Amino acid sequence: MPKHLFWWALSMACVVWYSTITVYVAIKGAGDIRNMLARLGKNRNAEES
Amino acid sequence: MTNFNWLLDGSIVGVYLLVTMIAGLMVRKYVGNVEDFLVAGREMDVYLGIASLAATEFGIVTCMYTAQNGYEKGFAGATPGILMAVAMAGVGLTGFVIKPLRDSGVITIPELLEQRFGGRIRWAAGVVIVLGGLLNMGVFLRTGGQFLVLVAGLNVRYLEIMMTVLLIGVAVYTILGGMLSVLITDFLQFVVMSIGLILVTILILMNVGWEKLVTTVETQYGAGGFNPFVNSTMGWQYVLFNLMLNTAAVLTWQTIIARVLAAKDTRTGRKVYTRTSFFFVCRFLIPGIWGIAALATLGPVANTLEAMPTYLATAVPAGLMGILVAAMLAADMSTDSSYMLTWCSVIYNDILAPFRKQPWSQRKGLFWNRTIIALIGIFLLLYGLWYPLKGDLWTYLGVTGTIYLASISVLLIACCYWRRANSWGAAASIIVSAIIPVSYLVMEQLPSTAAFAKSVGPYYSGIATYLLSGAAMVIGSALKPGSRAEGSAANA
Repeated sequence: MPKHLFWWALSMACVVWYSTITVYVAIKGAGDIRNMLARLGKNRNAEES
Repeated sequence: MTNFNWLLDGSIVGVYLLVTMIAGLMVRKYVGNVEDFLVAGREMDVYLGIASLAATEFGIVTCMYTAQNGYEKGFAGATPGILMAVAMAGVGLTGFVIKPLRDSGVITIPELLEQRFGGRIRWAAGVVIVLGGLLNMGVFLRTGGQFLVLVAGLNVRYLEIMMTVLLIGVAVYTILGGMLSVLITDFLQFVVMSIGLILVTILILMNVGWEKLVTTVETQYGAGGFNPFVNSTMGWQYVLFNLMLNTAAVLTWQTIIARVLAAKDTRTGRKVYTRTSFFFVCRFLIPGIWGIAALATLGPVANTLEAMPTYLATAVPAGLMGILVAAMLAADMSTDSSYMLTWCSVIYNDILAPFRKQPWSQRKGLFWNRTIIALIGIFLLLYGLWYPLKGDLWTYLGVTGTIYLASISVLLIACCYWRRANSWGAAASIIVSAIIPVSYLVMEQLPSTAAFAKSVGPYYSGIATYLLSGAAMVIGSALKPGSRAEGSAANA
């Protein structure tokens, strides 16, 4: 068993969680950007017309 | 001595900078009015919010002070990150303060305070927020430049040039695209920054090893390296000050709150908080491990702030070095752009508001916002060049942040939940929470009072600021003539 289990578990949790969330947010965030720009573009067109 | 290879690593950094700048500039066409510029038309969704919040709250300066914490305090140095994660998860789950704030539809915190305490308090709160925020941000550039110079093995005389180039790059896309450019570049920066942070941490854990990290902390700091309460430089006062500081930051730090205000609805804002909360543990622990690795490898050094970049300069191989520098540039650019935009929004929306006799046109509003960002950039450059940092970086940031965090958190909580709160209490709270930290900073710099400031210490002065700011709100509100009647009417 590693020494100082609390800090070991927290450090490993950070590496695993951060790696997972990076991939997940990278995929889902790209979708958010597309939708946000589409909504803003639509609002802009509505204002102009 | 550094492993930075200008051809390989320089190309990686160059490609990253080019892609970021293009992305930041491309979205400027979507900026049609001031709301688009300051809060991205309130169209931000959860995952973009998570990326943006994480990227904003992790700059080179963060990496430097958290690594310094790890170097000087061992694993216990990550305590503020754990406290912040707990505070953020709690606020996200309950919606405490952020729900009424987002529901009100305001652009800045002082705008909400005006509804309860009047225009003068809005203006004073704006001044305090900008003062605390800019003093806090004043050290970002120099610290970022220091890291890049050390890691890339540049001559220190290039530090100022490095700072200026960094700032101009960020200012260009922030001035043109506002919050939209900030969100898009934050997203790219989050991905690049995270890849760099994860790879370097895995490399360190493999090369140095857990056993050696733990043994180093045990040898240098004993039990205090793992437990903040028995650490001779921390203790209960450090934990309590950081609990107050981080809770107040989660509730009122304008760059964090800006993500709630830019969210498409309150539920999205709360989700951004809960799902980003654990990132704040990583934010302290990952660079903390880098700092401990520097201690294990280099041993004691004169400048603890420079230990981590000095260590990484030779520990990270070419190729990965380019990713590391791109990651740190990403971290710094996202922080600088968000901070410049945030303080600009308060200056425009709250400090200049009383001087506008008639509402400005959208065109004039955009012009002034862009001018303010440029002026903030000039201030940062001058302040970064001339302010000599004394003591540890995290404490400096805590003390300058407290100038506004103490009073604005008290004002905001009172505004949302205490019906008897009034303008007298708000004014007293602002004055008290500005005087104590500013006096501490001045006394720390003057030779005649430096010893006294050191004997009091930043933690006791910080705790006193939060407590007295709250007391000032209660006493000031009670003293205002007719306050009881006002409170009863409000309750009715």
